[in-house]
Amino acid sequence: MGSQGGGDGEEVNMAAWLVSINTLKIQPFKLPSLGPHDVRVKMKAVGICGSDVHYLKTMRCADFVVREPMVIGHECAGIIEEVGSEVKSLAPGDRVALEPGISCWRCDYCKEGQYNLCPEMKFFATPPVHGSLANQVVHPEDLCFKLPDNVSLEEGAMCEPLSVGVHACRRANVGPETNVLVMGAGPIGLVTMLAARAFGAPRIVIVDVDGYRLSVAKELGADEIVKVSTNMQDVSEEVEQIQKAMGDGVDVTFDCAGFSKTMSTALSATRAGGKVCLVGMGHNEMTVPLTPAAAREVDVVGVFRYKNTWPLCIEFLRSGKIDVKPLITHRFGFSQKEVEEAFETSAHGGSAIKVMFNL
Amino acid sequence: MGKGGQSEGNGAQCEENMAAWLLGVNTLKIQPFKLPSLGPNDVRVAMKAVGICGSDVHYLKSMSCGDYYVKEPMVIGHECAGIIKEVGSKVKSLAPGDKVALEPGIACWRCKPCKEGRYNLCDEMKFFATPPIHGSLANQIVHPADLCFKLPEGMSLEEGAMCEPLSVGVYACQRANASPKTSVLIMGAGPIGLVTLLAARAFGVSKIVVADVDEVRLAIAKDLGATAVIKSSQNMEDVGKELELIKEALGGAEADVTFDCVGFGKTMTTALKATSRGGKVCLVGMGHSDMTVPLTPAAGREVDIVGIFRYKNTWPLCIDFITSGKIDVKPLITHRFGFSQKEIEEAFATSARGGSAIKVMFNL
Repeated sequence: MGSQGGGDGEEVNMAAWLVSINTLKIQPFKLPSLGPHDVRVKMKAVGICGSDVHYLKTMRCADFVVREPMVIGHECAGIIEEVGSEVKSLAPGDRVALEPGISCWRCDYCKEGQYNLCPEMKFFATPPVHGSLANQVVHPEDLCFKLPDNVSLEEGAMCEPLSVGVHACRRANVGPETNVLVMGAGPIGLVTMLAARAFGAPRIVIVDVDGYRLSVAKELGADEIVKVSTNMQDVSEEVEQIQKAMGDGVDVTFDCAGFSKTMSTALSATRAGGKVCLVGMGHNEMTVPLTPAAAREVDVVGVFRYKNTWPLCIEFLRSGKIDVKPLITHRFGFSQKEVEEAFETSAHGGSAIKVMFNL
Repeated sequence: MGKGGQSEGNGAQCEENMAAWLLGVNTLKIQPFKLPSLGPNDVRVAMKAVGICGSDVHYLKSMSCGDYYVKEPMVIGHECAGIIKEVGSKVKSLAPGDKVALEPGIACWRCKPCKEGRYNLCDEMKFFATPPIHGSLANQIVHPADLCFKLPEGMSLEEGAMCEPLSVGVYACQRANASPKTSVLIMGAGPIGLVTLLAARAFGVSKIVVADVDEVRLAIAKDLGATAVIKSSQNMEDVGKELELIKEALGGAEADVTFDCVGFGKTMTTALKATSRGGKVCLVGMGHSDMTVPLTPAAGREVDIVGIFRYKNTWPLCIDFITSGKIDVKPLITHRFGFSQKEIEEAFATSARGGSAIKVMFNL
């Protein structure tokens, strides 16, 4: 990355670098110069995602491999410090939430409005593109969304994981007549549940192996919670329990865990003509009863990140239709010791839902 | 459909109505088949052309298919066309002498899927030769008039019977959104893969690659308009190699829509990996129930999997495609048999054999 932006004697911009397996180091991070459509943002709130943890532990995530030190983090919000020469909609002092991915706008996917699938996508903390757990970042103006007065910077950072739930609900066509089943009450299962409710879902059943996470889900508005196991033999029994808990047919199931067991349960529990949306990325290969599901026209819909979700997320937060604040369970400052502790807490799971940095 | 009293049109003396009954594993017998009385909205049809489907063969071999079990003798067959003999009191659109193709399934029109236009998923569907409903390999049957579609001049009864399997291909193309913008990959060049190929071309698809293990069937696919054919194996280790061949055949690109007309772990794995992000894989074939597939990477590229169950509202379009010449189903009819005990046994054995036997047709 090129020369540091700004002229006068400024503090060195620091960031949390992923240097090698299990090794994060706060080090200087040179910012590129500000393009005419860019803004420079002072980071205030940055959340930790499961993918950030995965990169820390393995230096890779699916087909993406970290080959050289990379700044981590992508769920973020901050305050505008400086705007490029052509920027009209934002000004220094504005509080903004950031959409991480910069697409190319030249390929067929971008032109057809499926920019989340852009093969040239430059996404915070997906190698080789640096992330945003830093004092400052430079980012395109059109990917920075102004926060209303009643939406905090932490809530702004939560727009990123919430966007996954929102995009999933759109792809699965959730509406006021959709009975929803959510497999998994982790951060993604929970934001998906919140999004489904905001989209009007009248009845939501959520399942998990963890009793504590289920109680969180109940507090956040799940109609019914069902404790399930990790044993394949329990699928039929659990399908019965789920259908009983729903009372009516399951129209859409979100698998926010992504294992053979959860997908098998999802495919069997969903009514004919319904949809199963695979959100979670548990296992690569799965053994599932695909044919019986296909023969009942239970379609399987995938999601990759999101597109055009920030305005809707911000509106949901502004109006109170969605309250993400309960999901933020742990907070840390931006120091070497705290960065290490924060990631350990997030990796631990359990009662840690969203771990947030305050810079 | 019950086995009510035998109906006699116009008081004239009728020959006894005979049908091919499935009595037990590998046991078909031509026996009398009593027709129900004609309802006001029904028609009585003399069957003229009946094709054999893979499911008919499956029932013959195992007395079951999926979750359906044959618990008592059942008339087999459902791909059919014939000539109207008699119409019910309220029937206006059809008359005796009309040539018609029959859509097999009678939906209830009271349940949620029916009311939402997805009648193929009807909870109470009564479908020819899906137990306990009798099929149509018979001299005559009684059927609702609205499920009998008049064949235009120049369209044969055999082509009429072919509308049923063709409907599967047409409906698959609809669910998967096949269009002139989409390149297509078809796994399997059996009867279903081939009707899907024909349907895809009629939907305007210009690039269609077909993969199969059988060279004879691949040659047929090429004749029927596949842009390229690929010989595949049944070994999982060959997936990588086959993906390269598929990509090459598509000019270096991935398939926008893939139809798996086989339905095994290997074919679905290939399908998921060969399809471009944002594309669709339509699982048509019913090979294995459980499959081990790389579902997550596919979902992570927004490659959706759509299933199909039979079809809905496809007969008018099929008839259109055939009469306009956009689709020619005649080459798929490879073997013909008459309606006698010996011939039905031979016909089913031929169909079960596969290979060069694509569609085996009865002429009654």
